[in-house]
Amino acid sequence: MKHNHISKPGYTTLQTVGLTILRVMIGWHFLYEGLIKFSTPGWSAKSYLMASVGPFSPLFKSLAASETMLQITDVMNMWGLVLIGLGLFLGFCSRISAFSGLLLLTFYYLSYPPFADFAMTGFVDGNYWIVNRNLIEMGALFVLMIFPSGHLTGLDRLLCFRKRNHGKEPVQN
Amino acid sequence: MKLQRRDFIKGLVAVPVLGYFAIGAKGNILKQVDKKTIDYYKRLKIDRLEAPLEKLTPPTGTKGKRIRIGLVGCGWRGQALLQKFGYFHTDVIEQHTKNGKPSTWLLNQMAQEDLNVEVTGICDVFDVHTQRGVDISRHNIYPGNKHEPKTAEVFQSYRDMVKSDNIDAIMIATPDHTHAPMAIAAAAAGKHVYLEKPMAQSIEAAIALRDTIKQSNVVFQVGHQNRQQMSYKVGRELFQKGLLGDVTQVETFTNRNTVDGAWIRDDVRDHKLGNESNINWKEFLHDAPWVEFDRKRFFSWQRYSEYGTSVTGNDFAHWFDCVNQVLDLGIPESVMALGGQYYYKTHGDMPDVLNAIFSYPERKLSMTYDATLKNGNFRQSRILGSEATLDLDSAIRMYKDRYSEKFGDVKLTGEEPLYYYEPNTDIDAISTATSRTYFKGGYGPTFIDGKILDVTFLHVKEWIDAIRGEGKPSCDIDKGFEESVTFNLANLAYVHKKPVRWDRVNEKAIIG
Repeated sequence: MKHNHISKPGYTTLQTVGLTILRVMIGWHFLYEGLIKFSTPGWSAKSYLMASVGPFSPLFKSLAASETMLQITDVMNMWGLVLIGLGLFLGFCSRISAFSGLLLLTFYYLSYPPFADFAMTGFVDGNYWIVNRNLIEMGALFVLMIFPSGHLTGLDRLLCFRKRNHGKEPVQN
Repeated sequence: MKLQRRDFIKGLVAVPVLGYFAIGAKGNILKQVDKKTIDYYKRLKIDRLEAPLEKLTPPTGTKGKRIRIGLVGCGWRGQALLQKFGYFHTDVIEQHTKNGKPSTWLLNQMAQEDLNVEVTGICDVFDVHTQRGVDISRHNIYPGNKHEPKTAEVFQSYRDMVKSDNIDAIMIATPDHTHAPMAIAAAAAGKHVYLEKPMAQSIEAAIALRDTIKQSNVVFQVGHQNRQQMSYKVGRELFQKGLLGDVTQVETFTNRNTVDGAWIRDDVRDHKLGNESNINWKEFLHDAPWVEFDRKRFFSWQRYSEYGTSVTGNDFAHWFDCVNQVLDLGIPESVMALGGQYYYKTHGDMPDVLNAIFSYPERKLSMTYDATLKNGNFRQSRILGSEATLDLDSAIRMYKDRYSEKFGDVKLTGEEPLYYYEPNTDIDAISTATSRTYFKGGYGPTFIDGKILDVTFLHVKEWIDAIRGEGKPSCDIDKGFEESVTFNLANLAYVHKKPVRWDRVNEKAIIG
């Protein structure tokens, strides 16, 4: 293969397919969540933040209490979800996207930590203790961070090529 | 190096999936958003209720002069009223201070808005309570209060207090039989009046008081602090928006199952200290028929129809005022009541089982009141409409009716409320069962303007603000009149074992 060097660390085809599917699925989920928020009239994280439970709830509640902070939170949340979603979906800046997704999910996780002490008052499907769906998705994003696939099956591949191309070969006139 | 076709294709491998996503997502998002926004809330105009957006009125204490208060009746309720101005007995302060540090409760009291009031007069027929009042008047806990502590003047009778030039306003927290006469004397002397519920022990007294207040310029508030409870304001808005449909039944309840709850209080708190030498018995009896000194009559006066107003005046009056806030019921056309005193036979003539029906033909509805002093299962008031049922206490739960037309297409099981209002006011922090009922009933804290505040404080504040010319009392003489006539009709029906009609034109109860 001509482009062996960019295939490092050298996944097998099946591994590449597997990682790509995982990446696209999580990208799909983020993007859809983000677009839903854009499409819901008057959507705001306020009620979600206000109902936060656990040791970090004062922080989340204080975000909801301030108009400015709430606006910033809402905008970052909506755009964050959409951009991370697109990034993962298309394999664009996939490492940074995976990391940002991990960060965002950490906030979701901490605002409603699934510990037995905090009675969940909201509508939660399923039963969780410490490990919940957010944490599992965080784990998956962590895997995608250390086993990136964007440079193989994503726009990063084109970006890598251009970067390398640009660095190695001087512009010819 | 050139970009290879293979690179290009592999790099864009997810794009077709994104294409599929783009085509499919739009429709799905719209479907999901539709479901999520619960559009029936919008359709019913309850997506954004106005009541919970109410703002606190700005403090008036900083402007104008201090208002000088005289308190008649310095028992537990009178003392609780003085606390709303920041005046506490040293006992209470000590009890809530550990190692020089105030408890959370005391800190909360200290953080209350200062209504800028001073206690200049105390009147009680029980010396022990008089002395407590005097102590209280000297101890203001507000950190911002820079006034020199003054000792309130002691008045042997309210008749002397109303004549005092050193008093602007009088609060009355005495046995029921003295409510109207004291309020009349105070208003006639030009003093503003805060009168504990129930407003009057008889229909005649209610009429006399109403006429006096209407002719005066004083600010008058009846102590139904539930007027400040947000849930009832929300309930009113739901009703006024027509969400309940045709209201046909209103249910109110008293469920108590303790000796104290049955108003037998001979030896509670400091009552043990009372005897013939430190109680002004004649002043207590007021216009009631003469009997020899009796501790039971004095400390458990609620149970004696000479001084009290039965379970109806003591408890139903509250619940009635709550549903009256929501529905503007007013006075019923006729009332029936049956029951008896079967258990607590040692004190007075108060029934411990009572059922009353109040008929409102013009409103096409009936209200019932079921009371027992031998069962402690809390039942909240309930308003039954053709479209929905409203359960009402410090929280609100509105359930759609099984055969509702308005909510026909709303997919909910019968157990799931259509509308739910319960701000977290830390009810769980309350320890005893009775106080739980008290708080559940809405007498305790409420949630307004992002704050958790005591409803009695808000009610007293409303009165003080109105005295300073800001706003109006919410439980004015007309509301008090409706309350007093309504429960007194039930008492007449119970005593006479006959239906009682209200002659609205002549303002008379017609028995039988």
